[in-house]
Amino acid sequence: MASLPKRIIKETERLVSDPVPGITATPHEDNLRYFQVTIEGPAGSPYENGIFDLELYLPDEYPMEAPKVRFLTKIYHPNIDRLGRICLDILKTNWSPALQIRTVLLSIQALLASPNPNDPLANDVAEDWIKNEQGAKNKAREWTELYAHKKN
Amino acid sequence: MSKIPRSFRLLEELEKGEKGFGPESCSYGLANSDDISMTNWNGTILGPPHSNHENRIYSLAIECGPNYPDEPPKVRFISKINLPCVDDKTGKVIVDKFHTLRDWKRSYTMQTLLLDLRKEMATAANKKLVQPKEDATF
Repeated sequence: MASLPKRIIKETERLVSDPVPGITATPHEDNLRYFQVTIEGPAGSPYENGIFDLELYLPDEYPMEAPKVRFLTKIYHPNIDRLGRICLDILKTNWSPALQIRTVLLSIQALLASPNPNDPLANDVAEDWIKNEQGAKNKAREWTELYAHKKN
Repeated sequence: MSKIPRSFRLLEELEKGEKGFGPESCSYGLANSDDISMTNWNGTILGPPHSNHENRIYSLAIECGPNYPDEPPKVRFISKINLPCVDDKTGKVIVDKFHTLRDWKRSYTMQTLLLDLRKEMATAANKKLVQPKEDATF
């Protein structure tokens, strides 16, 4: 494989030496641009007590282009679709090379704490969220029970 | 070039298929839109002109296994077709008889596969082969 840019090495080292609370990111041994990620559901959210698996890939153009991130655990959330794709501005038009893997993962954790049904990716979920917030949150809690790992 | 992992490659292919950037003669999409593993896909090929396949639409099932795109997908015709590289009982595309699968490269996509199958239908040796009646399936 082509040598890894210094910036990626530094970011990876810092993720290990100074991890973000509630988040892990481990590069695959055979592809150091490809990370296995876990995010704990934020306290007070319907995702509380669940641990969600994600995958993250740094394309060749990184950091000029945003990382690619997707949920591997099924999740009921208006900004995350059935294939785990995430609707988050910094992953698309608002990406800046000043952002990092760390900031991306923190933003995803924040998205779990405050879903934004007015900018939906999963339209049916967003509609549910707007019409019947309590019911939607209950369903999100059920899915967390069903599909996410349990926090010990 | 770094190696794009399976799922992000498949998401790229999905978006390309959904947006219809692909050529009009072929299309593909997920068989089940909430299959988070993105394993099973449906494909179609519009038969090439000036051949016995003209104006026919062929349906295919494509299976992208856990090692895709390092390994080629498994491909099966659902619509009946008479082609040397297709098993005449199951509709499976026979790897050894179809160069795109036999000499698979990581850079190949489902689009490569469908377009190459379409070319295969149009070769001098294959375009005049007698075809089963339209709408028959394996």
